[in-house]
Amino acid sequence: MASEPVEEEYISDIGPPYFRDMLPPVIKNNYGKWKYHEVLKPGVLVHVAESGDKVYTVRAANPRLLSIYTIRELCDLADKYCDGYIRFTTRNNIEFLLTDESKIDDLIKEVEELGFPIGGTWDATKAKYSLSNIVHTQGWIHCHTPAIDASGVVKSIMDALFDHFRNMDLPGLCRISLACCLNMCGAVHASDISLVGVHRTPPVVDDDAVRRTCEIPSTVSGCPTGALRPDMKNKTIKVDESKCMYCGNCYTMCPGMPCFDPENGGVAILVGGKLSDARAPSRLSKVVVPWLPNNPPRWPEVVDTIKTILETWAADAKPHERIAEWIDRIGWEKFFEKTGIEFKVQLIDDFRLPRHTFRTTTQFKW
Amino acid sequence: MSDEEFPLLSELKKGPWPSFVKEIEKTAEHKPEIKDLLKQLERSYEDKITYWKHGGIVSVRGYGGGVIGRYSFLAKECPGIAEFHTMRVNQPAGYFYTTEALRKICDIWEEYGSGLTNMHGSTGDIILLGTITKNLQPCFNALAKAGFDLGGSGSALRTPNACVGPARCEFACYDTLELCYDLTMTYQDELHRPMWPYKFKFKMSGCPNDCVAARARSDFGIIGTWKDEIKIDQEQVKKYAEEGVDIQKQVVEHCPTKCIEYDPEKKEIKIDNENCVRCMHCINVLPKALRPGDEKGACILLGGKAPILEGPVMGWVIVPFIPADELADFVKDLAEKVWDWWDENGKYRERVAELVERLGMMNFLEAVELEPDPRMVKHPRENPFFFWREEDLKPRTDPWKIWREAEKGL
Amino acid sequence: MSEYSEEDKQKVLEKLAQKPWQTRDLAKVLKMKKRDVDKIVKELINEGKADYWSSGSTTYVTTPEKVQEMEAKREDLK
Repeated sequence: MASEPVEEEYISDIGPPYFRDMLPPVIKNNYGKWKYHEVLKPGVLVHVAESGDKVYTVRAANPRLLSIYTIRELCDLADKYCDGYIRFTTRNNIEFLLTDESKIDDLIKEVEELGFPIGGTWDATKAKYSLSNIVHTQGWIHCHTPAIDASGVVKSIMDALFDHFRNMDLPGLCRISLACCLNMCGAVHASDISLVGVHRTPPVVDDDAVRRTCEIPSTVSGCPTGALRPDMKNKTIKVDESKCMYCGNCYTMCPGMPCFDPENGGVAILVGGKLSDARAPSRLSKVVVPWLPNNPPRWPEVVDTIKTILETWAADAKPHERIAEWIDRIGWEKFFEKTGIEFKVQLIDDFRLPRHTFRTTTQFKW
Repeated sequence: MSDEEFPLLSELKKGPWPSFVKEIEKTAEHKPEIKDLLKQLERSYEDKITYWKHGGIVSVRGYGGGVIGRYSFLAKECPGIAEFHTMRVNQPAGYFYTTEALRKICDIWEEYGSGLTNMHGSTGDIILLGTITKNLQPCFNALAKAGFDLGGSGSALRTPNACVGPARCEFACYDTLELCYDLTMTYQDELHRPMWPYKFKFKMSGCPNDCVAARARSDFGIIGTWKDEIKIDQEQVKKYAEEGVDIQKQVVEHCPTKCIEYDPEKKEIKIDNENCVRCMHCINVLPKALRPGDEKGACILLGGKAPILEGPVMGWVIVPFIPADELADFVKDLAEKVWDWWDENGKYRERVAELVERLGMMNFLEAVELEPDPRMVKHPRENPFFFWREEDLKPRTDPWKIWREAEKGL
Repeated sequence: MSEYSEEDKQKVLEKLAQKPWQTRDLAKVLKMKKRDVDKIVKELINEGKADYWSSGSTTYVTTPEKVQEMEAKREDLK
């Protein structure tokens, strides 16, 4: 319901602040006139403008969930070192922009003392890459449809892979993303490694809740596999469980039919997605593990699997080769062999028009 | 906060990666009601299930989005978070902030909300996490006075987002931040007043590296590219070689079309630009020596989306190239045509990609007045099941008529 | 210039009072142009006679009374 009306001048539709008002002077002065960049050390970049101006970027980790009391502390550092400017990246890292190179180490010391390690950069010239932050969703902190938590899984993985964030010790870029259900407000479907919370049991219909809170026709027509039908006599919805693939779309539309099941919900893992067009073209990720248990607080099965995939790739890939390109070279059969991941029947597509995923050649590796 | 009280969560305070649990604890030191969030979260960790109720409507005056209503199933045990709504605040393009602006948001959120944020949400907004219904309008008013507005949610235009672009990247082929701001301001009504079949996202990346995931995460992705020759600074090529960069191995051998050659004697690079697909690899590796050409612009991809409902979709090319200086007008004109067609034909919760799959690219291209181009496809279709229109055909003849007349000996 | 009559507006309002609608469905039922229905709905919202109702990912419109009623039904969803 709308909140209490407030007797004040009503302002609306002003949009976001104009970004140019938020730019540090060195950025404003050299906007669109950057010449090149270099990586000075892990977590520290320098961009050089045509004017000769330089801006140094110090990149720090970020749990994404930030307290305003921490943001104020970050602002204090930005005031002290960066003339009162700070920025964030599309992968939720924090960036401090400096013009005075001599202040970099002092800033790093203070940022790390606050608990925000420096890293997440890569040097393509030297083919040395570090792992960037994991893009992720809300999970149990704030979401009503998650199959798993988000922040806790991410924290567990990043703790385990921390050295790869700190050091540029990977052969290529590796983007990890996590979405806590198939709605994927994190849209993780084109990442080198993506984790997706999945339900494995059909919705449990509470007839009374459906009657009270649901629009039956649109819920029924919203089912992508036709597993729902209206029960007009009882004003509720019936589920044909054999047709359900647990996407949870019906629950998004109708609060009366949740598909949560603590022991059956879990994590699917996909690999080999790629957004950039560098070398091999961009592509979607492919499922390699259909389900792992949702095992808080540290998700050991998930962390181990991610670590195995990442480290098998890192040890075997040629310089610049991302997971997708590595698999292109070695073949899927070798991916499963090298990582030791079991090729389960669920990995063979049986949703819409799967035939373009079936192999039609005799070109195998043994 | 004692670790015995929240044994599972306190596990996540350990380790080198910054801990979200510590952030919640820190907030709870100032705002005691936030301890209830830890309480509920610990319970979720024990029971492996969410305790947030489904949806619920909350809004600010005149807007149909920007606030996500959230109520707790544990309202009795955790009264401090019984109502815990999210406000999505439209971020400044490129995520640059003055500390003054950021502190204003902190002050407002200290007064009207939980003090917890996400910097940033998946679509790009600043997420203010957790407040009560009666604070929504005053919080909105305070944000508006500070120069901030809400972002999109529901069946609306979602907050557009862009990569850092020309602000701090030499690869940017058009001004992603200016276009992002322009679209956001032009379509405030579409952003705040949801009227469409479902969500619609714009994302802008300055080059094919696509740092904002435009091709996968937006219905209308705009990715910078160029048409003319890659610019080469042979002096810098020499310097890279002298510094020990193995140009043959690091660059030439990775070129997807084998259009680049390196002469180790002269320490020079030669590019067959006719065959270059502008993938960015050589430029990424040798940023001092190689640059995108001067004829810059962008490619437009349609339909990127997550799996709900019909499976994940990578955006596909609908416009291979528009020069940078024509981009803003072109994008607005095209996006409006796309919206008209989608709004007219789309079903409830049908994203534009799914509508094109249902009605076909031919209908789509005709509706939005785009000409077919081989760059729109990986390869032409493999079946001959086309639709022909009346005007494509010669006047129709009835085969029965031919046979009957033949039978009659005519 | 308004392309719809006061009568159209009344018809929309009556329908909104029944249940939450997507304007596309409302337009079909009332045999009106969706764009006109959208305009009417926006007007009604500004006048405080209609309100949005959203599940978070999809949005409907109805009357404030109906929103209250539905929220009350959801309240005891436990």
